[in-house]
Amino acid sequence: MLELRAVSKTYRNGGQPVEVLHDISLTAVPGTVTALLGRSGCGKTTLLNLAGAMDFPTSGDVLIDGRSTRMLSESELTALRRRRVGFVFQFFQLLPTLTVLENVELPLLLAHAPQATQTARDRLRWVDLEDKAASLPYQLSGGQAQRVAIARALVHSPDLLIADEPTGNLDTASGDQVLALLRESATRFGATVLMATHSAEAAAIANVRVSLRDGRIQSIGGP
Amino acid sequence: MKLLRTLILRPLRRDLLRTALTILSVALGVAVVVAIDLAGDAATGSFRSSMETLAGKTDLEIFANGGIDERLIGRLAALPFDAHFSPIVETQAVIEGVGSVPLYGVDFAGAPENAAVPSRALAQRLHLAPDSPLTAIIDGRPVHFQVGRIAEAGPAEFLAIDIAAAQQALGRYGKLDRIDVVVSPAEDFARVEQAVRAALPPAYLLEKPGARSDENQRMLRAFRWNLRVLSYISLVVGAFLIYNTISVSVVRRRAEIGILRALGAARATVFTLFLAEALLFGMVGAAIGVALGRLLAGATVHLIAETVNALYTTSRPAPILLTWSQTWIGFATGALVAFASALFPAREAMDVAPTEAMSRGAHEHHARLRWRRGLAWSAVCAVLALAASQAAPVDGFPLGGYAAALLSVAAAAMAAPAVVLAVNRATRALVRRRVVGLLASRSLTASLSRTSVVVGALATAIAMMASVGIMVGSFRETVSLWLDVQLRADLYVRASMPATAAQYPPLPAEVPAILAAIPGVAAVDVFHGLEFHYRGERATLGAGDLEIVRRYGRLRFLPGADRDSVLRSLPGRDRAIVSEPFANRHGVRTGDRLTIPIGERSVTLAVAGIYYDYSSSQGYVILDRSTLLRYLPGQPATNAAVYLAPGADAAGVQRQIQLRTSGLGVAVALNSELRRNAIAVFDRTFAITWALEAVAILVAMLGAANSLLALVLDRRRELGLLRYLGASAAQVRGLILTEAAFLGLLAALLGLALGFALSLLLVFVVNKQSFGWTIQFHPPGQLLAGALLLVWSVTVLAGLYPARVASRLNPIDVIHEE
Repeated sequence: MLELRAVSKTYRNGGQPVEVLHDISLTAVPGTVTALLGRSGCGKTTLLNLAGAMDFPTSGDVLIDGRSTRMLSESELTALRRRRVGFVFQFFQLLPTLTVLENVELPLLLAHAPQATQTARDRLRWVDLEDKAASLPYQLSGGQAQRVAIARALVHSPDLLIADEPTGNLDTASGDQVLALLRESATRFGATVLMATHSAEAAAIANVRVSLRDGRIQSIGGP
Repeated sequence: MKLLRTLILRPLRRDLLRTALTILSVALGVAVVVAIDLAGDAATGSFRSSMETLAGKTDLEIFANGGIDERLIGRLAALPFDAHFSPIVETQAVIEGVGSVPLYGVDFAGAPENAAVPSRALAQRLHLAPDSPLTAIIDGRPVHFQVGRIAEAGPAEFLAIDIAAAQQALGRYGKLDRIDVVVSPAEDFARVEQAVRAALPPAYLLEKPGARSDENQRMLRAFRWNLRVLSYISLVVGAFLIYNTISVSVVRRRAEIGILRALGAARATVFTLFLAEALLFGMVGAAIGVALGRLLAGATVHLIAETVNALYTTSRPAPILLTWSQTWIGFATGALVAFASALFPAREAMDVAPTEAMSRGAHEHHARLRWRRGLAWSAVCAVLALAASQAAPVDGFPLGGYAAALLSVAAAAMAAPAVVLAVNRATRALVRRRVVGLLASRSLTASLSRTSVVVGALATAIAMMASVGIMVGSFRETVSLWLDVQLRADLYVRASMPATAAQYPPLPAEVPAILAAIPGVAAVDVFHGLEFHYRGERATLGAGDLEIVRRYGRLRFLPGADRDSVLRSLPGRDRAIVSEPFANRHGVRTGDRLTIPIGERSVTLAVAGIYYDYSSSQGYVILDRSTLLRYLPGQPATNAAVYLAPGADAAGVQRQIQLRTSGLGVAVALNSELRRNAIAVFDRTFAITWALEAVAILVAMLGAANSLLALVLDRRRELGLLRYLGASAAQVRGLILTEAAFLGLLAALLGLALGFALSLLLVFVVNKQSFGWTIQFHPPGQLLAGALLLVWSVTVLAGLYPARVASRLNPIDVIHEE
C-alpha cells in the first residue's frame, strides 16, 4: 500500500524556493487505479517520482507498506525499484539498442531474477506483442511501444505501477488499449496503479481521481 | 558567424571536457611531429667541422681514404691559378679534465713547433691564457704544448697545433687528412676546380664544403624518415578522433540541422559550419602542439644525437631553432588533419534533409547496414597494400612500404564495423549472462559508426605499438644472434677515443705485437677501418686477417656461399666480401666486380661473398689486410680481436693487456662487455621509438575517454531510465567500464591483426629497403602480451571518469529533459 502523509516538495530555482507540492496526503490501495489530474506544472510528475522513491519530499513522508522512503538506504531503494515499483512514461522510454523482448526482461536482468526470458515472453503475450519480440523499438508504432513499456513495468510483478501520461502520446485506439492494460494490471495482478493524466478517458478507468492545482489537492473523488 | 557561435561554439563550451580532450589529442599529434622535426634538425644539423670556424671560408676540400700524400700540396701550389691550399690533419686528443676534443694539425707558418691554439670555449674551461702550458694525449702519448693564441670559434671546443707536430705525434709523416682550397675571387672558379681535379689521383675526392654535410643528411634520410613516419602515427590517431568528434557533433545535431535547413540554410552553410568546428580543433590544437613540440624537442634531441653518433657519423647537437616555417608547417599539419578528417562527417551533415530529424537508432541502423560496403573497401585496400608492398624502392626510399602501411591502416579502419558486429555476434551467448555485458555490447553495436571509429583509432595505435614491438623485438633477437656469431674473439682492443660511428682512430703501431706476445693469446686479428665513397655514398673499407677469421670466427654468409672457401680465396688477391646492407644498397651480387678508391688508386675487386651484418646500414667492403697493405703500406690498424688459447683466463689477459699498453691510450673490452654495449646502443637507438609509441597510445586513450564520455552524455536518458528500472549506481558504472573493456578488446583484436601485417611490412619491406638488412622474424610474445594487457587496462581506466559521470546522473532530470 502507498501512503503520502503531508508531503511537500520545494525546489530551488535561481536561488528562489519554488514549492511544487504542498501538504499532500493520499492513500492508494492494491488492486485499484488512482488517477492524478491537473494542468501541466501542477506537480503530478513530482508526486509520481516521490511515490516511486525516485525523489524525496522536503517535508512529510512517503510510506510504502508503512516504511518511509526517506529511511531507506541506497541499496534498499534500488531493491525497492527492482522488486516493487514499475514505471510507464509518456514517451515510452524503451532502450533503442535492445529488442522488444530484451527491453521487457531488463528489470528482471538488473535484479538477477531467474527465468527472465520466459517471464518477459509471458508479459509480451499478455500485451499481445509476442510476435514483435525480436523487433527494435524504432520499428514499433507508438501504441505498440507503450504496450511494451507496460509489459516491462509489470514484468517483475510490482506492487506499485506508476504511469506518467501513459496515453499522452497515443491515438485514441492505442490509448484505449493501453488503458485497458493498466486497468487489468490492477485487477489481474493486484498492482496499485498511480497514473498522472490529462485525459478524461484515462481518468475514467480510475477507482480514485485526485485533482491537483498548483501543487495542492483540489479534490479526491470516486468514479 | 552567429550560426557558428550558436550551433558550434556554444555546444563546445557546454562540453568543455570533451572539447579539451579533442584539442589535446590534436595538440599531442602536432607536438610529436614538430618535436621530431626540430630535434632531428638539431641533432643532425651540425656536421660542419669546428675547424671551419677557425679557418674561415673554404671553396673546395680534398679527401682520400688512407690519407693524402702531402707532396700533392707542392703540385697543387704550382698550378697557374691564384688559389691557396691548406693541409690539415684531423684527429682526437684527450685532455685531462675535458676528455676527448677534436685536434687539428694546420700550417702555423713561423710559429714555434710546440705552439697550440685552443678555441675560446676550451681555453675558458681549462683557464688557459697565452703562454700557459698544455698537455694533450695524442695517439696514446702525452704531448706538451704552450698556448700561443686563443681562437675565437663560438661554443666549439677544439685544439689546433702545427701540422708537423701533429704528424709527428701521430706517426703519420707525409700524410694529410684533408686539403682546404681557397680560390681567389678573381679566378674562374670552374676552371680552377677542373684543373685541381685533373691534378689529383683518380681515387681522390674533391668536394665543395657542405657536400659532406649534405652527404650526412642523405645518409640519415632513411633514419629520419622512419622517425618522421612514426611521429605521424599520433596524428593519424588524432585524425580518427577529430572524425569521431565531428561525427558525434553531426549525429547529436541532426534535428537542429534539419530545422536550420527548413529555415533556409544552404547545404554549403551546414557543410562550412562543421568544417569550421574541425578547423577550430585543428588550429587551437596546433597552437598548443607547436609550443609543446618545442619543449619535447629539447628532451628528444640528445636521444637522436646519440643514435646518429653511434650508428652514422659524428655530429654535435645544435641549438633547437623553431623557425616561422616550422611553426606554419605545424599549424598547417593540424589544420589539414582536422580538415581531412572532418570532410566526411561534414558532408553527412550537409545531406540531412530539411524534414529530417532522424533518431539515433534509425541512423545507426543504417550505419549497421553499411558494414558490408566497408568490408568490401577494406578488401580493396588490403589488395592494394599487398601490391604496394611489392614495389621497388624509389631512390632508396621505401615509398611502396609506407603506402602499403597506410593502406593497411585504412583496410583495418574500414573493417572495424564488421569486426565489431562479428565479435558481438560471437559473444552474444556469453554477454547475455550478465546484464551489463548485454547492455554494453548492444550499446556499442548500436552506436556502430562511432564505436568503429574509436576502435579504429585505438587499433591503429595498438597496431603501431605491436608492429614496432615485433620489428624491434625481431631486430634485437637477430642482432643478438648475429653478435653470438660475429663476436667470437675473447677480447677486443681499440684506441680509447669515444666510440662513435665512422671514426677510425688508429691503434698505436706497437699494440699488435704487444698483444701477440701476451701468454694465453692464441691469435690476434688486426683490423683496419677506413672510410671510402662508392657511387656517391659513404661506406667502410675494412681489412683483417681473414685466415684468423676463418679459423676462429663464425662469419655467416648469405645462402649459397661456402664460408671456408670464400675466406680462403681472399688473402693476397683483389677479392672482397661485402656486407648485406652494402650489397642491397648498391645492387651488388657475388661475382660482381667493384671499383673502389684505396689511397691514390682505384682498385677493382671481385666480390667473393655477401655476409650478414647489422652494425652499419652504409655497409662494409672487407679485404684481407695483405691486400690493403699492398695499396696502402703503413696504414695503421684501428682495432684488434684477440683469440685466447683454450683454458686461458680472459680477465687475466685483459689485465695483462691493460698493464702492457698503459699510457698508449688503448681500451680493452671483454667479449661479454662488447656484447652488452652493443645491445645497450641498440636499446638506446629504439628508446625514441618507444616514446613515440607511448604518445600514440596516450592520444588513443584520450580518444577512448572522450568517446566514452560522448556515449554517456548522448545516452544519459537511457542511463537515467536504467535507474528507474532498478539499476544500481554500481551497475551503471559497471556498464560504462564494460563498454570500455569491450572497446579495448575489440581494438586489441583488430590492432593485433593489423600490427602483425604492419610488422611484416616493417621487417621485410621498409627496413630492408631503408637499411638493407635482413631481420629474422621473432615476435616477442611476452612483451606483446604484456603491452596489450597494459593498453587494455588503460582503456578500462579511461572509462573511469565517464563511468563516474554516468553513475551520478540524476535520473529524474535526464528522463524528463527534452
